[in-house]
Amino acid sequence: MSDTSLVTLRGITKSFGAVQSLRGVDLTLGPGEVLGLVGDNGAGKSTLMKVLAGAIQHDSGQITIDGRDVRFASPADARRERIGIVYQDLALCDTLDVASNLFLGREPRKGPFIDRRAMHAKAAETLSELHVRVKSTYQEIGRLSGGQRQAVAIARAVSFQPRVLILDEPTAALAVAEVRQVLRMIRDVAAQGVGVILITHRLQDLFEVCDRITVMYEGRSVEDEPVSALDIERLVAMITRSNTEEAA
Amino acid sequence: MTVETATAPTVLAETPGRWERANKATLAMLGVTVVLFLVFGIAAPNFLTFGNISNLATQVAITLIVAVAMTFVITTGQIDLSVGSTVAFVATGTAEMLRAGWDSSIVIIAALVAGLLWGAINGWLSAHQKIPPFIVTLATMSVIRGIAQMWTQGFSVPIDRRLFVAKIGDAKFLGFSALAWIALVAVVLGAVLLSKMRFGNYVNGIGSQEESVRRAGVNTDRIKMITLMLTGLAAGVAGLLTAARLGSGSANSGQGFELTVIAAVVLGGTDLFGGRGTMVGTIIGAVITGVIANGLTLLGVSPFLTPIVTGLVLLIAIWINLRGRSLADLFSHLTRRS
Repeated sequence: MSDTSLVTLRGITKSFGAVQSLRGVDLTLGPGEVLGLVGDNGAGKSTLMKVLAGAIQHDSGQITIDGRDVRFASPADARRERIGIVYQDLALCDTLDVASNLFLGREPRKGPFIDRRAMHAKAAETLSELHVRVKSTYQEIGRLSGGQRQAVAIARAVSFQPRVLILDEPTAALAVAEVRQVLRMIRDVAAQGVGVILITHRLQDLFEVCDRITVMYEGRSVEDEPVSALDIERLVAMITRSNTEEAA
Repeated sequence: MTVETATAPTVLAETPGRWERANKATLAMLGVTVVLFLVFGIAAPNFLTFGNISNLATQVAITLIVAVAMTFVITTGQIDLSVGSTVAFVATGTAEMLRAGWDSSIVIIAALVAGLLWGAINGWLSAHQKIPPFIVTLATMSVIRGIAQMWTQGFSVPIDRRLFVAKIGDAKFLGFSALAWIALVAVVLGAVLLSKMRFGNYVNGIGSQEESVRRAGVNTDRIKMITLMLTGLAAGVAGLLTAARLGSGSANSGQGFELTVIAAVVLGGTDLFGGRGTMVGTIIGAVITGVIANGLTLLGVSPFLTPIVTGLVLLIAIWINLRGRSLADLFSHLTRRS
């Protein structure tokens, strides 16, 4: 696995003041692989993903992408490595319209000016392809429903054509049919060779789309198992660490 | 939602109507402006003459130039209280440099650079050192004026009327003063920057959810710093023009100017919490503050009434702008560390 891996994290640590959120996390992701990242609240999943997306900087440890050691000083650096992320809080701007949010930070330009016509046309195309239901790309994000906002955030991450796609609780606000849509999208992009990291509390989703599951506990990665070796009871036990003798 | 057609686009890029897009607060203020023009037009017969309208444009110009820049600052959710002091600093600096025999062209450049520099100091302290801009500019407001007063020992410094800088203050084209034309250029530049360029999008985005813009790979600290440099630069222009118009530079000019400017921006419908800026609104807001001062003067009321009315107008503007949120929320917003 290690020589074909797309992303390798080794011994990642991160402290916020006196609080040590990450105490040494190892994680690998191969191309076309769907990795489930699970752990209780506060285990450090979201923090780890923010590190991988360049939104926060880790203290020590190593990030390797395609065998190259990288260090992200900003989200722009991670984007250049084509790491796409849907944040748990979605990272949208309420007062900007749908198209502006979709193209935030990479607005198409005509000379020095934003090419709004092209931006809205492309936004409508991208969203339609992903079956997102929004009345108009000129609608303000703040006026959309939770599900629509989440769909726009996912569409944004996917539209970057990422090599690595991180989804942090992407289905929390979605209706049943929309969840199916997201899971299908995950399988589609993975089939195209994209490595996907999925964080979710919906354990049944993990069994449906994941190849492998990494478990975090109190800032450490404690387990790493192929899904085929797991069942839901065993997974719950791994997350809650209620059954320590099975850690091996 | 009920009919499922796989091929039809689910999202349209259709432009909503003008009414849907329009900032409602700005529309309301446009109505207020019309009413003000009607009331003063009836009460003071010489109000709606070309001469007075041209005069009004000159009076509004200096406020408007700084209000254009202030629109960006307020839209990012920041504030700049130091613009009045920067006006005084640059006005005295202009007069002192001219008295020292510097050429007008160099004085103009130096004046603009001085404004920009104060803006950069405000910007660096608030955006990069994470001190709330309310606190930073409250402090620099005192420091900048203090330096101007120490420099001139409180005396007004006269400017030779034959110098080019002084002539800017009197120049007229097509019936309107040079000041009015400069303000028009500032408004056009500001409107293009705010609504047609990435910078404007990020300014609105930062005021809405800064962290989202940062995570989209934008250097938000840099954008916030630039907005404060814009108000500094605009205040530099305003200081230069104030000195040119009055024919002297005084460390006491521009007292309370920041309030007029903020009132103009907020009256126009730009959200004090950030995220929603409108340049058309800023023009309307500046015109309202100008019309009130101009109309009251024409009616022959005491000049001491003007600051009272301006203060009350600011209060009403903020009241409307809050739209149900509390003043305590606003204060904690303006003084928070980003």
